[in-house]
Amino acid sequence: MPFMKKLAAALLTAAITATALAVTTSADEPYTGYNYDWWGDPIPSQNGFVVDRVVDGDDLGLDKLDYSDKSKTVREGLVGLSEPSDIFVDQTTGKFYIADSKNNRIVVTDETFAPEATTVISELHYGNEFPESQSVIKKTTFKMPRGIYVRKNSDGIRLIYVADYDNNRVVAFDENLDIVMEYTRPSSDVYDANVTYNPSKVIVDSAFNVYVIVPSITQGSVQFSADGQFNGYYGANRVEATAEVIAQQFWKLIYTREQIISMRRSVAIEIANIDIDKEGFIYTVTENKSADTDVLKKLNPAGTNIFVNLGYDQMTFGDFAQRWYKGKTYASAITDVDIDEEGNIYLLDFATGRVFQYTDECDLLFIFGTRGPQGSYGTQKGTFMSVSAIETYKGKVYVVDSRKNNITVFRQTEFGAIVQNAIKLFNEGLYDEAKGPWEEVLRRDANYWLAYIGLGNAYLNQNEYGTAMSYFYRTSRAGYNRAFKSFRIEFIRANFTWMLAIVLGLVVLLIVLSYVKKYRKKKKAANKGGQQ
Amino acid sequence: MRFDLDLPAWKWPFYVMRHPFEGYDDLRWKKGYNMKVAWVIVIMFFVVSVASAQLTGFLFNNTYVKVFNIVPYFSSSVILFLTWVVGNWSLCTLFDGEGTMKNIFCVSAYALLPYLFSEVIVIIASNFLLRTESGFISFFRYLGLVWSIVLMISAMKTVHQYSLPKTIVAMFFTVVAMAIILFLAVLLLTLFQQVIVFGYSIYTELMYRFSL
Repeated sequence: MPFMKKLAAALLTAAITATALAVTTSADEPYTGYNYDWWGDPIPSQNGFVVDRVVDGDDLGLDKLDYSDKSKTVREGLVGLSEPSDIFVDQTTGKFYIADSKNNRIVVTDETFAPEATTVISELHYGNEFPESQSVIKKTTFKMPRGIYVRKNSDGIRLIYVADYDNNRVVAFDENLDIVMEYTRPSSDVYDANVTYNPSKVIVDSAFNVYVIVPSITQGSVQFSADGQFNGYYGANRVEATAEVIAQQFWKLIYTREQIISMRRSVAIEIANIDIDKEGFIYTVTENKSADTDVLKKLNPAGTNIFVNLGYDQMTFGDFAQRWYKGKTYASAITDVDIDEEGNIYLLDFATGRVFQYTDECDLLFIFGTRGPQGSYGTQKGTFMSVSAIETYKGKVYVVDSRKNNITVFRQTEFGAIVQNAIKLFNEGLYDEAKGPWEEVLRRDANYWLAYIGLGNAYLNQNEYGTAMSYFYRTSRAGYNRAFKSFRIEFIRANFTWMLAIVLGLVVLLIVLSYVKKYRKKKKAANKGGQQ
Repeated sequence: MRFDLDLPAWKWPFYVMRHPFEGYDDLRWKKGYNMKVAWVIVIMFFVVSVASAQLTGFLFNNTYVKVFNIVPYFSSSVILFLTWVVGNWSLCTLFDGEGTMKNIFCVSAYALLPYLFSEVIVIIASNFLLRTESGFISFFRYLGLVWSIVLMISAMKTVHQYSLPKTIVAMFFTVVAMAIILFLAVLLLTLFQQVIVFGYSIYTELMYRFSL
């Protein structure tokens, strides 16, 4: 049948041409997702987040802002963002606040980043609370604002807190730009007179206490009460027990007082950034390539790290152990932390430009973003030069780059959403309902270790201990231990009778054998005696 | 000392294990040294070290199993043991030790027996115990280790006819000697490697020249 043959050939050709023409329309991410396996080796994984869009000052319409008003002409350098160093999203109003540091202003916008939604704060007034300004309205500007936070105060007025770095103050003002409070350098003796006071980050807790990160202070964050009173320090890091520190402790036993004073002091590393979650727990991160202690802490109101209960000593944040590649050391330097509405923790790594997403129990979910190649300007979407801040809003992740002067928006992939859904069900205790999503995760990425733990827990919940054990094998020692405990009890219960029989049999056999031995010895002795 | 002992060769290790203090005197008196038995124990040492890495239960196992390489296990058991024997012999012959190489090999091998037993017990138990019961594991592990060390001291003391302090000093310096031996071995290996590479490059050069 030549016709059929021809038809088949034509169809085949068409099919081949069609596949060749079907070019993927979406560009690949400049990074490949990866995760860590049981041994801490990086293994490829699916991307949980991909770049949605990149926003710069142009998109925000920052250069067009003041064109209408001739008195406020655009000055040099005010076009676009310049070294933005912090971003804050008010989850209730959906307003975005960007600390545009070099331009000495705060940019307020929303999800759309449209010029219509964008306003700029660069000038504040001293309100009525400041008596010396009653006659004339005193104005003030920012100088390198590097941190921003927004929270309603006890009267229900939404206050904006800005860490005004070079003005040595944290300033709190309302939406009419009237200053309500200034948190200036504490006059207390507790505050070392030799130490500068340059606030770089600020948060406010539910009791309206203000926590200020000052880079030159190693005792923790500086805590003020709402009325501006210095309360002390909060959440200091521990000193890492390096060989040097231990050696110093030894010499301190021997040295004289003068010698001890002249010794190099080993102090804890300062806190780099701070965030607060829905429940009021404060998270701090430490940006240091050489330190492994206290990289991420979750603090209770007393200032103690509550991750300790989850086995903090075994936890690693950012990339695992330092890597050496072509004569260079690569280690994470976590510069910012954010907690989303679901309680997931996002860490921003300055060294590699990566974002690490963790569950609320510090299980690594996804790694995304990357640093641009050395010498390049990181022009590709999703690559960074110098990341400075991270924030989440409605499932999207916003990363600020202070050298590219833009904001990269990441959106969750389908895979990421499945994982998120599974974790949500799992955290609600719906282990059986979480089974489906977890299995779907494994269908898409068989290396996704958290799925094995989820399935293990699901089977454990159904009292299928053997299956649970096989899922926990090389994914979770704690889970395996729990499953094995029940498995063992069940096994012993099922087989108790014959196990007891074997033990009893052995005991009887041993007794009999010992008698036989004794008897033989006696006989031998008797024989010997007989011979003599 | 029991002069009436008449044990087959394979029973001696078990006898010295159960009599840590006089056992070696008896062994020396009765000349119970047997190289075959000693080799079996040394090879069991190797087998147990591999088994410990491979068969220990998941809850107690930290081995990186993605890549299995037998060489490190071999060198940390058999080669280490041989280095101990050679190091001890080299040192103690200089310091009036009475033991020959064969004697040292046998008594040292016999002293390993409690350690092997404890490791086997640990491997089996680790498959039945929970993390909370890890006390048993470390108990057996340390018991075997301490017992073996006591046996080793006793063995060295008897085989060289040393006093106790001298034995301990000799054992310490044996470890130093082992380190020197291993260092020299690695040095030699590297140098030989370079010599071989040199020779090979001359060979390839010549081959290129003559094939022209």
